[in-house]
Amino acid sequence: MNASFLLFILLNTGFILLVSPFFMSLIKKVKAYAQGREGPRLLQSYFDLRKLMQKEVVYSPNSSIIMRITPYLNLGVLLLATLFVPVVFIPNAPAGIGNIIVFLYLLVIERFFTALCGLDSGSAFGGMGSSRLMSLSAVIEPTMIIAFAALAYVLKTVNFHEMFAITAGSTIPESPTLSLISISLFIIIIVETGRIPVDNPATHLELTMINEAMILEQSGKNLALIELAHAIKQTILMAVLINTLAPWGLATELTFAGIVISCFYFLVKASLLAGLIGLFESSIAKMRLFRLPGFYMMAFFFSALTILMEVFT
Amino acid sequence: MIASLLADPALLEDIVRILFVFVLITAAFILSTRNIASLLTVYAVQSLLLTLIAASFYLIEGSEKLLAIAALTLVSKVLLIPLFINLIGEKIKISRDLEFNYLEPTASLLVSIGLIMLAYVFLSGFFDEYVLGKLFFIGAVIGLSLTLMGMLVIFSRRKVITKVIGYLTMENGVLLFGIFVADLPFVIEILIVIDLMILVLLTTILAIGLDSTKKEYHQRLQTLKIWSGREE
Repeated sequence: MNASFLLFILLNTGFILLVSPFFMSLIKKVKAYAQGREGPRLLQSYFDLRKLMQKEVVYSPNSSIIMRITPYLNLGVLLLATLFVPVVFIPNAPAGIGNIIVFLYLLVIERFFTALCGLDSGSAFGGMGSSRLMSLSAVIEPTMIIAFAALAYVLKTVNFHEMFAITAGSTIPESPTLSLISISLFIIIIVETGRIPVDNPATHLELTMINEAMILEQSGKNLALIELAHAIKQTILMAVLINTLAPWGLATELTFAGIVISCFYFLVKASLLAGLIGLFESSIAKMRLFRLPGFYMMAFFFSALTILMEVFT
Repeated sequence: MIASLLADPALLEDIVRILFVFVLITAAFILSTRNIASLLTVYAVQSLLLTLIAASFYLIEGSEKLLAIAALTLVSKVLLIPLFINLIGEKIKISRDLEFNYLEPTASLLVSIGLIMLAYVFLSGFFDEYVLGKLFFIGAVIGLSLTLMGMLVIFSRRKVITKVIGYLTMENGVLLFGIFVADLPFVIEILIVIDLMILVLLTTILAIGLDSTKKEYHQRLQTLKIWSGREE
């Protein structure tokens, strides 16, 4: 392991960890404004996390080791995944870091353990959420694979770091089809973070819950870790989209100025994207559960089309 | 600045390629959208995309015919036809088409991916000896796929008003095909015929009622003694 990569681990992971809760509250704020409310403060997520951190953890008597390790495991897995998506600078990474397939598997591990955790608590809500998550995953998983495969096909590499080095080097999107993939990536962000047409993050209503149902039994510190992991997942996926479509400002070399500029640009672009997500969420209604496969199929169609366009030309 | 950008054929070709993709996306929306007002908006957007394609293609090729096509499309399909159908839609008070024959939207999207590949395979066998440019070839493929997807809309939708939009989509496909496989008077002939068909269809439907499914429509035709064909 070289020194620059060590620095990358500290900076990239630290930066994403630091800014992730901010985007969560920013989206809440945008949604609140769209509904004519004042909304929470922009730093509210940090206060919530601090408050939860100080609270006692309560376990259901039915729960097993799964319930105890899942928060740590999820956060750990996602912190590892942050290494795959450079936002401060593109490092000289050892083999395997940045590989798309590993990245997808990391996301799946997180999802798998969240579902297990929902079952583990023994509550009816948790099991329902897990069952919904798993059945929807069966549809969104192929879509995600196709979307990332399209990305790999267009940029001719399966490594995120190399991909972003290519896109950062060009002023307009490298290939016109990249702008198409970003639509699929946007849908993937919406789906993976459980946002409105798919799931409503702001409610604990039985009919609509998917993600919230599974973490309903979590409390205290564990809940804080899970929420943090969720926020990190959102930031990583946003970073993938940003680096694909609008990579301007991402430093490809390790310089102090480059890192500052990258961080600044990322904050601006991610805030814009978060605003866009908030507006998107405000503008459409929650879909019925059985309409969701159609929504996912749209993303699948986009991605498949992207690959076809590249093959045609 | 803009003029110099517009003079660059490589950039224009990229733009046209992006527009192609968006055309297919609008077709996908036409296959799956249930709200009639948004269906019409999507159709208008699709026609606008065709206008833009024709206009940017004019900048590459410089043939006045393309400009004429662009203007014609803009006036007729972006403005007039959607406005017209919208007026009818308001009169007959239906806002949604939830009924599908044989194929749910999810399945039809899968089928249309297959159709696009089929169009590609078919045309690549066809145009092998002609040395068409890359762009022309994709244009032909997208045009043919759009036509096939329009057929799929007609096939899978139940309400007559959405079937009409299917026809219009098909016609857009033919137009796209006509733009890119250049100088095919026959294609333009077909275009006019389909236009006429739509016109006839629209007027009859306007007279008889657009709020029905095909079966009810036949019944109404029979009660009004306009058509005495046997019910299937």
